[in-house]
Amino acid sequence: MKETYGVALPGMNLGDLVGKLIVVEGTDGVGRSTQISLLKEWLEQQGRAVLDTGLSRSGLAGKGIKRAKQGHTLGRITLSLFYASDFADRLENEIVPALRAGFVVLTDRYIYSLMARAMVRGLAPEWVRNVHAFALKPDATFYLRIGVDDLIPRVVFSRGFDYWESGMDLYASEDMYDSFRRYQSALLEQFDKLAEEYKFEVIDASPDPRTVFEQLRAGILGVLLGEPQPAKGDGAPAGVAAPAPVDLLPVDSSPSPVLVRPEQPEKELKL
Amino acid sequence: MKRYGEHRIPGRLFVVEGIDGSGKSTQLLLLHQWLRAEGYGVVFSEWTSSLVVKDTTKRGKKKKLLTPSTFCLIHATDFADRMERNIIPLLKAGAVVLCDRYIYTAFARDVARGMDPKWTRELYSFAVKPTLAFYFRVPLEIAMKRLNDSRNGFKYYEAGMDLELSEDPDESFRLFQARILEEYEKIVPEFGLTVIDATLPIEAQQAQMRQLVGAKLAQAKQLRVAP
Repeated sequence: MKETYGVALPGMNLGDLVGKLIVVEGTDGVGRSTQISLLKEWLEQQGRAVLDTGLSRSGLAGKGIKRAKQGHTLGRITLSLFYASDFADRLENEIVPALRAGFVVLTDRYIYSLMARAMVRGLAPEWVRNVHAFALKPDATFYLRIGVDDLIPRVVFSRGFDYWESGMDLYASEDMYDSFRRYQSALLEQFDKLAEEYKFEVIDASPDPRTVFEQLRAGILGVLLGEPQPAKGDGAPAGVAAPAPVDLLPVDSSPSPVLVRPEQPEKELKL
Repeated sequence: MKRYGEHRIPGRLFVVEGIDGSGKSTQLLLLHQWLRAEGYGVVFSEWTSSLVVKDTTKRGKKKKLLTPSTFCLIHATDFADRMERNIIPLLKAGAVVLCDRYIYTAFARDVARGMDPKWTRELYSFAVKPTLAFYFRVPLEIAMKRLNDSRNGFKYYEAGMDLELSEDPDESFRLFQARILEEYEKIVPEFGLTVIDATLPIEAQQAQMRQLVGAKLAQAKQLRVAP
């Protein structure tokens, strides 16, 4: 039975949410969306229906947030609450119905990103936690972790620096590079704290995308099979240590590129 | 991040609360005129007027996208924007700020819609505590009569139609407002709202308001701007 972080929304029945809620967290530019599209494809090949969702994609508030951010005029409390509105809309209208229908819901960021951003901006942690207390506890949260030195080249050579991702609202006196460094370092620090508090599966995001994907895939397999998660911090990919049921294709522990094109046909998961 | 009651600001914040038809907006307008005539720097802030959030709220209402939780959060976002961008800086500058509805409206409405009372109060804990908050207490029947005389038909959310209490908008409005009144009665002692009997003649209510507001301005002569 799914539960929330303390507050139930009116009319929300948590009893029949049979799907799995899987969160991929990580800072800007760490490769979350690449991984999510790989995971979605893989899960669909396995015969699992997938809903992918992410911040500011709600029918209600998505456009409003984007428009407001262009003006760079949002206060920190306003920004936080605008995102919470967007999240509540997606929770009620996308995530919960999909879970009820038995989907795997892959979410690109979750309340943790919102909480990290709010706390970096100096909002009181207890207030921030309360705002997001209506969120469902996910079945698993995978945190793609990267150091700021590994992050910078990715951002520079892909899309360049963005006003909000550089925390320019916080460090306006600096140029975007310096601001980005400071802001992202502060965010990573918050994420590390949250990772401990909320028991994230930490995945090192510095290797190539395929290696990262293999770890994610192994972890998600564990979740889908309802196996207990392995102990944190031992460095082993989640799910690998657990004995696999006979009708499940074992997770390939070799680094061979089986992910996108399996060398042998994968059996359908019976879950 | 300062919490309710922790702000130390030279300005004065006066707010009016009550159900639709209680006459609170009329009273605030009269107070506004008086303060301006007295030479104070007065600013008026309305519920749901943030430029950044207004379009989203409007869309949500028009397309009936709002649930109790998003209704609550989008109004909190609007309020936060007005708080951060307008109300706090103005109060710091020493202005007299008047608000038609404040956080207590959210506590009454959102809880009447089923939101958790404690959660909702904490959500708005960033708000500045008003110098005085007036609650215009009026029996539902009188408020209904005033509204029926002045407008035709209630809007969807105004009547609480989203709660499916009744298919008839008038009946839904009545049931919803009754719930709100019940919540207000809890809020009055909890937050020390100043109760005004809204069945009294308009000028009698206004005289009470001016006396109470005047007392709070007496110690704040520096707020006075040149007429």
